[in-house]
Amino acid sequence: MPCSLRLGVLRLTDSAPVVLAESEGLFAAEGVEVAIQVEPSWANIADKLRWGALDAAVMPLPLALAAAAGLRGPATRLIVPMGISRGGNAVVVSSTLVTCLPEPLTPAAAPAFRAWLRDQTVPPRVAVVHLFSTHNLLLRYWLGSVGVDPDRDLEIVVIPPERVVAELTAGRIAGFCAGAPWGDVAEATGSGRILLGSSSIRPRHTEKCLALAGDWAADHPGPAAALSHALQAAQRLCDQPERSPAVAALLARRLDLPEEVTPAALPGGNGIEQIAFAAAAPLDPAEGLWFLREMRRWRWLGVDRDLEQLVADVYRSHLPLI
Amino acid sequence: MRDGRRPWWPANCWSGLPSNSTPSRVKILLADDDADRARYLVRALTRDQSAEVICTTPGEMLADAVAAHRPDVVVVDMTRPDRDALEGVRQLSSRMPHPVVMFVDEDDPDFMQAAIDAGVSSYNVGSVTPAEMKPVLRAAVALFRRYQQTHVKLAEAEIRLKERDLVDRAKAILIRRRKFSEPEAYHWLRREAMSSGKRIPDVALSVVQAQESE
Repeated sequence: MPCSLRLGVLRLTDSAPVVLAESEGLFAAEGVEVAIQVEPSWANIADKLRWGALDAAVMPLPLALAAAAGLRGPATRLIVPMGISRGGNAVVVSSTLVTCLPEPLTPAAAPAFRAWLRDQTVPPRVAVVHLFSTHNLLLRYWLGSVGVDPDRDLEIVVIPPERVVAELTAGRIAGFCAGAPWGDVAEATGSGRILLGSSSIRPRHTEKCLALAGDWAADHPGPAAALSHALQAAQRLCDQPERSPAVAALLARRLDLPEEVTPAALPGGNGIEQIAFAAAAPLDPAEGLWFLREMRRWRWLGVDRDLEQLVADVYRSHLPLI
Repeated sequence: MRDGRRPWWPANCWSGLPSNSTPSRVKILLADDDADRARYLVRALTRDQSAEVICTTPGEMLADAVAAHRPDVVVVDMTRPDRDALEGVRQLSSRMPHPVVMFVDEDDPDFMQAAIDAGVSSYNVGSVTPAEMKPVLRAAVALFRRYQQTHVKLAEAEIRLKERDLVDRAKAILIRRRKFSEPEAYHWLRREAMSSGKRIPDVALSVVQAQESE
């Protein structure tokens, strides 16, 4: 039975399986009618999932877990049946600042980097796309690994991905960690330089997942499974490098992403790293646990929380995966 | 029918605001880049002396405004790009003396849904209790919703105007090309629409496009 479901995405390269499934008729082939809603920020996605204005969304895995844990307002009943993507985020520093940094920024250069940071009268302002984003947790993990205190040596602010390049260009932030294509856009416009890709911080890290509003999924098990199937079929197509130009054209048309820049982070691209899609689909509880442990490390999650249980409550691979 | 002198927002939308006898005034930070709507909101929310409303200035980052003004409540257009910054303030910044917490009334999901649908989100900063805030927020949500409806009507009116313009242009083409009178041109458009199962403006569009492609 056809059923129109509202699926939220942001303007990002890793929304590719969603727009491809729509244009290739994969949703229709699975008998599910999907209305794609392009949202301006992650908080909009999370709020709309919580209060019934969206049925499903593509979102960063740790944000889904944090929303379910009640870390950003009331606990949200969410189900994550599959992953959407791996990797694809870039750590970017403004072009004016990059000349001051030791290069390459290896662990050996860490003392010089720390010394430079502590010489700053005002801690440089660095943007991440949401507090509970993969970007923030991976950036903080990396900063910690080179001996930088992200709360003392830097000021971390939150700016939605589609806004980070404008803020960097305007000089209101010194750098950012955001998903593709925004790092490549910063380089293409000359406003920033990519220091590293998120896969070099944590190889093969899960980036986006599919999150379903718990009540909706309970009432619509058939469409929920059909949605997962269609997106997995789309992931396999997105992984084919020869399709990347067409995928970039589609992302330009559907999400208004710059067609000449987007291919850099797609399979076969020449960016700092390329997004993997189908490999992200099977859920690995260890990956969710890693992000939750990082949240606990920064004291956003109390020691009383049972992290394994939290992951088990959210990950529901009982929805049949092919 | 609405009385012409009455404002377009619901008359009772601020009736639950804390009364004048309350000694402390609720300090509201309003972050809305839509200048018209912000003006209406300020007027409505400050009608009662118990609320003080501060607006963010253009270009000012929301987290900075919260740090500078120390409001009790932040009322924000959900789609505003820096709205997400507030979610991180508690954890991210040591500048904030009080936590910033999303306002949620779990006992009133209808209110929360209405707020999301209207596109307004609110955050509790400092020591005001949710019960004290609720009337202010109810007023804000009612105003956002009313504004949204007005805008939908405006958008519909604009579409109707554009369609009428399109039909006029198509008629002019038909009059010039086929030597039709104006009623004949209109009847031709109507006949084409009926026989093809399309709307008259859609037929008019194809006439105009055919002319442009020549």
